[in-house]
Amino acid sequence: MSGLVTPPVTRPGPAPGSGSGDLMIEADNVTKSFGSVHALDSVSVAAPRGTVLGLLGHNGAGKTTLVNILTTALPLTSGRACVAGFDVADKPVEIRRRIGLTGQFASVDGQLSGRDNIVLIARLLGAGRRAAAARADELLELFALTEVADRRASGYSGGLRRRLDLAVSLVGAPEVLFLDEPTTGLDPTSRLNLWEIVEGLVRQGTTVLLTTQYLEEADRLADTITVLSEGRVVAAGTAAELKATIGRRTVTLTLETGEDLGRAGAALRVAGFAAVNGEDEARTVVVPIDATREIADVIRTLDQAGVEASELTFGEPSLDDVYLALADRSAARTPA
Amino acid sequence: MTTQLTPATGPASRVAGADRPVFGGSSLLTQIRVLTGRSLRAMVTDPGIVLFGLIQPVVILFVLTQVFSKMGMPPHFPGGVSYLDYVLPAVLVDNAAQSAMQSGVGLVEDQKNGMVARLRSLPVHPGALLAARSLVGLVRSAVQVLVIMVLAMTALGYSPHGGMAELALSAGLTLFISFSLGWAFIAAGAWLRRAEPLQNLALIVIFPLMFASSAYVPVEDLPAWLRVVASVNPLTYAIDATRALALDVPGLDHAIPALAICTVIAVVGMVAALRGFRRPL
Repeated sequence: MSGLVTPPVTRPGPAPGSGSGDLMIEADNVTKSFGSVHALDSVSVAAPRGTVLGLLGHNGAGKTTLVNILTTALPLTSGRACVAGFDVADKPVEIRRRIGLTGQFASVDGQLSGRDNIVLIARLLGAGRRAAAARADELLELFALTEVADRRASGYSGGLRRRLDLAVSLVGAPEVLFLDEPTTGLDPTSRLNLWEIVEGLVRQGTTVLLTTQYLEEADRLADTITVLSEGRVVAAGTAAELKATIGRRTVTLTLETGEDLGRAGAALRVAGFAAVNGEDEARTVVVPIDATREIADVIRTLDQAGVEASELTFGEPSLDDVYLALADRSAARTPA
Repeated sequence: MTTQLTPATGPASRVAGADRPVFGGSSLLTQIRVLTGRSLRAMVTDPGIVLFGLIQPVVILFVLTQVFSKMGMPPHFPGGVSYLDYVLPAVLVDNAAQSAMQSGVGLVEDQKNGMVARLRSLPVHPGALLAARSLVGLVRSAVQVLVIMVLAMTALGYSPHGGMAELALSAGLTLFISFSLGWAFIAAGAWLRRAEPLQNLALIVIFPLMFASSAYVPVEDLPAWLRVVASVNPLTYAIDATRALALDVPGLDHAIPALAICTVIAVVGMVAALRGFRRPL
C-alpha cells in the first residue's frame, strides 16, 4: 500500500484533557492465563466516552482475548475490568445490554435473511414484533442493505456479510462497540465504507474498541493506540506519538551497484540520516525520515554524493516497523 | 467543552450511543420462543433440510420392514402379529434417535457459524439456545412420527391392534424418548463442538444399542450374551413399552423403567449441556 497517503481526518472528539472522567472501557492490570500460558500479562487500557481505542498487534498478541474478557465471554484471571461503568466480574448482563460485538468472523445466521437476522436480535433484546421490524428497516437502510434484505445471508458477499454483522451488533444502540479486526479480508472499498460508518457512530457518542493488524486503520480511526505483543502492552499513545517515537516513515532507495550503495549510505549518515541496508542488502538502503520534506534532503544528499538511485519509494510505517522499532528499543535498553 | 457532539438526526438517531439500552430486555421464555422460531423458520425454508427430514424416516421404515420381513419368524415371536406390526415401534425409536442426533448437530452448527458467539455478547440466557434446539428437535420428531405412521398404514398395511388412544400414547412415548436422547446429543454437541465426532458417537452408540435390544427380534431369540446386553439396554424397555401400547401385547410394565431411564437421561443431559455450553469458546 505504498504511495497511498491517507488524508488527516478531523473529527470532533473530546479534546485531550477535557477531563470528563467518563471512562467507558477500563482494564486495570488484567491478566489471563490458560494453564501456564499467559495470554494477557498485566494489560491496562482505558477509553473515555465517544473515543476509539485501537488495539494493535499481530495474530496471537492477545487482542481477541482482551475483547473476550471485556465482552464478558471469558473470565479474567486477575486484575479488574469495567465496561460502561459495570464490572465484568459481577455485572455481565448489564454490560451485555450496552455493548455490540463484531468479531473476526461474521456472526450471522446464513439460513436467515438479512432482515430476519436483525429482527432476531431485536426480539432477543426485548423488542416487540413491530419495534423489531422498524429497527430492521432503519438499520438495513443505514447500511445500504435494503436491496438484499430478504435474501438468505449465506448468499451474501464478504463485504455484505460484514456490513450485516455490524448492523446486527448495533441493534441495541450499544454505548460501547467492540470491533475485532473488522476489516480483515475486506476489499479496499468495503474497508473505507466501514471506516466511515465507524466514524459516524463515534461522532454520535459511541465508544469503540477496535482491534487491528493494520497501522493505517488504527491511525485513521483510533484516538489512542495500545500495541500488544505476546500478551503485554509494549507501547501506548496517540497515533502521532507512536509514529514519532517508533514506527517512522521511510524512503527506500534502490541503487545500481554495491559501490553506489556504500557511497550513498556514507553520505546519508554524514547528513544525519539513520540509513540502514534494506532487504536486498546489496542494492537497497532504507532511510527513516520524520517529515515528507526530508525526502528532498535525501535526494539532495545523493545528488551531492554523485549517486543516481534507480528507484525511490516512500513508505508509511507498517506494524512490522513498529514492532521492529520496539524490539530495537528494548534491545537497546537491556544490555546483552 | 470546546467540541460538541453533532445532534443526531434521521434514522441514525437511535443507532449509536444511547445512554441507556433502547430495548428493555427479554424473559427466558421469550428468548426460547424467539430462538425456536428462528430454527423452525430456517428448517421449513430450507428445502434440503425439509427433504432430508422427511426422507430419513421413510428410508428407515422401508429398509427395516422390507428386508427383515423376508426372514423367517424367530421362535419367540408373538403370535398373530405381522413382522411389520412388530418392527414398527423399533422404526419409530430408531428414527427418534437419529432425530435426536440432529439436535446436537444443530447446536454444533450454531457454534461454528458464530451464532453462539453473538448470543454470548447479548443478555441472553445460555440455556435459551439449548432449550430451543431441544424443542425444534421435538417438532421435527413429531412430524417424522406422523409421516412414518401414515405411510406404514397406507402403503404397507400396518394395523396396530391397540386402538387409536394407545397408538397416540405410544407415539407420545416415542417423542419422550426422542426428547431425552435429544438432550444427550445436545450435551455431546456442547462438549465436542464438532459435527464429525458427534456423528461418529451417534453411530457407535445408536447402531449397536438398536441391534442389542428387542427392536428387531424378541430378546429371547438373541444369543445368550446379547440377551444380557439387551436386558440392561434402555432401548429395550422403550421399544417394549411402545410396542405393548401399539399392539396390545404384554410389556406395558416396561413403560415405567422406560420413562424413568428417559427422565434420567434428559436431566443429566440438560445439566451436562449447560455446563459444556458455558465453557468459553
